Amino acid sequence: MEGLLQVPFLTALLAGAVTAGIPLLLAGLGEQMSEKAGVLNVGIEGMMLGGAYAGFLTAISSGSIWLGFLAGACGGALVAVPMVILCVQRGLNQIVIGIGLTLGLEGLTAILHHVQFSRTYPRLARVETLPIPLLSDIPILGPALFDRHPFVYLAFLLVPALAILYRGTNFGLWLRAAGDRPAALDVTGIDVIATRTVAVIFTGLMAGLGGAFLANVGAGIFVPFMTHGDGFIGVVLAMLARGRAASVLAGAMIFGGCLSLTTAFQIAGVNVPTDVIQMLPFATVMVVLIVFGRQASLPVALGLPYVRGER
Amino acid sequence: MKWNTLSAGLSATALVLALVGSAHAKDVKSIAILTPEQGTDFGWNQQGIDAAKAAGEKAGIKVVVAEGLGYGDVRPTMRELAKDGATLLIAHASGYNTAAPEIAAETGVAVAIVDTPKGLKAGSVADYTLSGHEGAYLAGRLAAKMSKSGTVGIVVSGEPPSWNSQSAGFAQGVKAEKADAKVLYAVIGPAAYADAAGGKRVTEAVIAAGADIIFGQGNGSSFGMLEAVETAKAANKVMFIDVIGDKSKIDKGNLLSSVVWNMVPVYSAMIADLKSDTYGTKSYKISLADDSVRLLKTPQIADDVWKQIMALRDDVISGKIKVEPVFEAAQVRALMSSVTEPPK
Repeated sequence: MEGLLQVPFLTALLAGAVTAGIPLLLAGLGEQMSEKAGVLNVGIEGMMLGGAYAGFLTAISSGSIWLGFLAGACGGALVAVPMVILCVQRGLNQIVIGIGLTLGLEGLTAILHHVQFSRTYPRLARVETLPIPLLSDIPILGPALFDRHPFVYLAFLLVPALAILYRGTNFGLWLRAAGDRPAALDVTGIDVIATRTVAVIFTGLMAGLGGAFLANVGAGIFVPFMTHGDGFIGVVLAMLARGRAASVLAGAMIFGGCLSLTTAFQIAGVNVPTDVIQMLPFATVMVVLIVFGRQASLPVALGLPYVRGER
Repeated sequence: MKWNTLSAGLSATALVLALVGSAHAKDVKSIAILTPEQGTDFGWNQQGIDAAKAAGEKAGIKVVVAEGLGYGDVRPTMRELAKDGATLLIAHASGYNTAAPEIAAETGVAVAIVDTPKGLKAGSVADYTLSGHEGAYLAGRLAAKMSKSGTVGIVVSGEPPSWNSQSAGFAQGVKAEKADAKVLYAVIGPAAYADAAGGKRVTEAVIAAGADIIFGQGNGSSFGMLEAVETAKAANKVMFIDVIGDKSKIDKGNLLSSVVWNMVPVYSAMIADLKSDTYGTKSYKISLADDSVRLLKTPQIADDVWKQIMALRDDVISGKIKVEPVFEAAQVRALMSSVTEPPK
């Protein structure tokens, strides 16, 4: 086991788990707000792709990874606009529009990649990190968790920030009401459509950020279809989290950790078919679904359009 | 009189048979190739499209390219291409292996599929399970010669037979050159062909485990592997050996070599078989002998090392060194090392 317990190897595995988990965390947190407000946002995969493309294009053009994140957030929000118009305002089927958005963005970003990057495949340099004094010196944990790009710390800080928003503010209450009792919210004079619009745009922002992180930090490059189902995993995480931001964080890190474990098992030469090893992240999600699925409390009006006065 | 009648009858029969025979031989006017990603990936998709175009030009026939189709259902596209008059549909992805034979049965248009040697059907379905195992063997010998750490890595985005045989060939080459070298092996994920972030993450782990040369097999994901190699914080400079295509144009100094495939002879043979009515009776191969598989020389390879590799190439071609293809994933894994093995 000596080789497996080498510090650089364990550090790389843990760092890989965090890097793989951050896009899922951001997508899951975004989806959570949307679902709280009653909108099942299946288009999140497309929003991530939009963010990944816009984020990478901006980062490679400007040389600034921060501008890349900003552009990624805007790109994701832009993809969320049709969801707002068609589902929140016009009341069309959220699943159909969400899938349509995802397929559309897969095609669009593939074409844009073909036109702009496919002859040169530009790649970003290694991102600079911001080591946190003392903590970054802890063996294995330090470099993996506390010697990261500042965006990683901000992503983690979003978790308590959103928890406070949901539990301690009026807006958090409105979100829940928009998902559970939209008519009751309407009666109090709060605009249900506006509340859901804010939630869906926020989902786009977060998914776009997740996509930008995936392209700019996770891969250092943009390639077509690169989200590889991360958005859909984000939807599952949001559903399992029962409205708690901290649970989304836990789910994202478990999934990222399982991905790293699959690599560790293979490199360690564990004598099990690779297919079985690679089932681990997905099997873990299924186990969590079975164990906690019954306790999942989804908003009553999830997926249903709101029409004032309609029963 | 009787003899004359018989002779005339036989001649007429021979003429009819000849005419019927010539009517069976296909008049190949156009072929189509379908690829999951764009033909600009410096790899599987690009080599396939470029080869189809070259083979078509050589044979004087039209080539229709349907690229970037993804890994989903390609049946509608195949039906459309068949309706437009394509004589042959080259389904250039293992993910199309179920759909393509169905379309062949439905439309009567011949199809070519990959990684399914048992899927042959005369006149209808041919297989081209290409294996660059001989080239990968040479790449393994090269990697073992140039590795400073004595550990090399193989990162793949899936385990199709073609890549399994190359992984195995590479591992055999490494061990033949340096018996105590470690060969670490990791698959990114199930069909993670476009998972660039996964490619980078897994490659970083393999590098952290000590590998200083990565043999990478992936489509879009190979760019993530390359990024990991270029940005590695390792003691030794990490190098990358690619497969199928030539990424020299976009190299930043870490590309050591590539096992380059030339599929022109394969597609040319398919067109010839269609014309001669022998299509679907055999699988197609590539090899070092006809240069349809070759190892890429880059500035990173010293001339004396290259000379040694070329001598080994001659030995493989002459049969002095035998490199058998290994297509089964379990057999491939058996050839690999574990990071937990103590140094020999």
